[in-house]
Amino acid sequence: MHVLLLRLALGLYFVGFAHSVLTALKKKQTLFRPALIAVSAGFVLHVLSIVLRALEVQDLPISQQYEAFSFFGALTTLGFLVAYAKYRMAPLSVFVFPLIFVMTFIANLFYDPTQSIPPALRSNWIYIHTPLIFLGYAALFIAFSAALMYLIQEHALKSKHPVRFYSWLPSLEICDDLAYRSLAIGFPLITLGIITGALWAQSHVGGFWATDATVLFSFLTWLVYLLLIFYRMSGWRGRKAAYLSIVGFIGVLVTLVGANYFGGLHTLQ
Amino acid sequence: MQLAIVGLSHKTAPVEIRERLAFNDGALRRALASLVGREDVTEAMILSTCNRVEVVAESPDDRLIREFLCDFHQIPHDAVSKHLYSFRNADAIRHVFRVAASLDSMIIGEPQILGQVKEAYRIAADAGTVGMHLSALMNRAFAVAKKVRSETGISASAVSISYAAVELARKIFGDLSGKTVMIIGASKMGELAAKHLKRNGVSSVLVTNRTFERAVELAKIFEGAAIPFEHLTEHMDRADIVISSTGAPHFIISRSLAELVIHKRKNKPTFFIDIAVPRDIDPTVNEIDNAFLYDIDDLQQVIDANLKERMKEASRAEEIIDSEVEAFCRKMQSREVVPTIVQLREGLEKLRREEIERNRRYLTVLSAEQQEAIDHITKSMVNKILHTPIEELKKMAHDPAGSDFADAVRRIFNIKPPQ
Repeated sequence: MHVLLLRLALGLYFVGFAHSVLTALKKKQTLFRPALIAVSAGFVLHVLSIVLRALEVQDLPISQQYEAFSFFGALTTLGFLVAYAKYRMAPLSVFVFPLIFVMTFIANLFYDPTQSIPPALRSNWIYIHTPLIFLGYAALFIAFSAALMYLIQEHALKSKHPVRFYSWLPSLEICDDLAYRSLAIGFPLITLGIITGALWAQSHVGGFWATDATVLFSFLTWLVYLLLIFYRMSGWRGRKAAYLSIVGFIGVLVTLVGANYFGGLHTLQ
Repeated sequence: MQLAIVGLSHKTAPVEIRERLAFNDGALRRALASLVGREDVTEAMILSTCNRVEVVAESPDDRLIREFLCDFHQIPHDAVSKHLYSFRNADAIRHVFRVAASLDSMIIGEPQILGQVKEAYRIAADAGTVGMHLSALMNRAFAVAKKVRSETGISASAVSISYAAVELARKIFGDLSGKTVMIIGASKMGELAAKHLKRNGVSSVLVTNRTFERAVELAKIFEGAAIPFEHLTEHMDRADIVISSTGAPHFIISRSLAELVIHKRKNKPTFFIDIAVPRDIDPTVNEIDNAFLYDIDDLQQVIDANLKERMKEASRAEEIIDSEVEAFCRKMQSREVVPTIVQLREGLEKLRREEIERNRRYLTVLSAEQQEAIDHITKSMVNKILHTPIEELKKMAHDPAGSDFADAVRRIFNIKPPQ
């Protein structure tokens, strides 16, 4: 049942994905309302799917790979809905909807109930470490989207070619503000996530965790964001901050996607 | 409904002719009264703006209105006839819809025309020269204009320098409330741009000018502050938007000054607008991070692109108008044809009864059966006579010529037009 619900949610998220593609092609938002409704409905089914799965395994369903992606997808949707309720910023959907769709798609693709984390790592830390990291990544993704919107809009304004103007993009100040705020939320979350991850590893496998590629990458990413926070505080704004925010998120992607291919602690078995 | 429009506009007549045919407020009321007083004109309204003069009337003949226009203004008909256009029925409906939706305007999509049409309608309504037909037409025209505005982007983008400045400022700052604009130089154009920015939320205005008195004067208009020209650079970092339009032969804002300003503003974006010729601001200022510089040509480019966009939207608007005209014609025709059919039936039935009543004394000698037969025969005669006209009327209910046909039938049978 939870798999069926997840597939239905994926179908509804597809409307959001289609909205993004259409907007990019037509340079105009035409499908936002239906997409928002579909994604919200998809979110409800998605949460239901996670709840059913939780009841089934009598546990928070994040220890399997597909569960983790599904969980991350749901958190991103939640993040978007919260941000939308506050800012009413429809253009953000153009970036977030595809991510939600892709994450849920991967969750469906990787559905394999036999895969799980190594028994050696079974511990309560997973309930703290994983959600913290995922929430942090979701916030940093929003920062990344805001940075992209900033750069597109800034380039259009600087080049002065009105043909390139994107009427659906928010103003520079709003993009910059959103990028800063989501960084201010995401950074503490991944910091805590990394600390809890370290504590978890410490208590189970001793000091070996520092050689884990995922750990290494996430630490490098963390350094980039630390730098960004530092520069932001010293008065950086706009373009440079946007570039660094994009570099940081590329680090996040490498960490996330690479987690299973680097081998080591974050590989599921 | 027999609509007729006679008028001229910026497309058909130069301003020398337009001004001779224009109506001021007083003349408008007199003209309406005199027009509707004439035979064959039952309803009328007059639209008189600087770009067009139009008489919209319910009348079978547009020549009457042409004559009226010339007579009223005491201009020989030959002098203006080639500038005048006339439309009848469906074409007239289309013209009214297009004018109200700003498709016939000098700047397509400009929003003032709808207000002017509404005002002209109100004046005519007050003067009592608007009846069933014009009120149905104009109310539909207002709804169509609203539909065109909301469903197409015909009025969406800026097509003047000062609106383009506002539009661009919005792309940088979003909400303009709490922002400060600085005007350097007291030119008309700078003043206009500042006025639009202020109307769109900008909260404070700084004015500076070589002659300080002029700056003080301008500052008073905007409820802002005047700054002596020598202190310009020290105050520039207070402004989010800087509009420069001095007559200076050299740059007022150099690249290094702009860099300093951005630095002092802790990288908060600044929008520089240079509407001076020769230019006041070093063009390389645009290369500085968080500085955005637009000169007069850049703004003109934005406007040109917006105008092109409006043209594209206008063709979508024309499609909306087409279907609206068709729908309105159909509605009006069935509105005339159906009552005509009812009146025909009632009228002839009344005639039949009256004839029988009048001859009652001759009929009383007949048996009840025979009397009934006569009743039956007369009824079926009436039905047979009416059969073809009614069938034809029904066929014509959705035909553009239906209105004229209904009118002809009414004349033949001597029936008053429906009210």
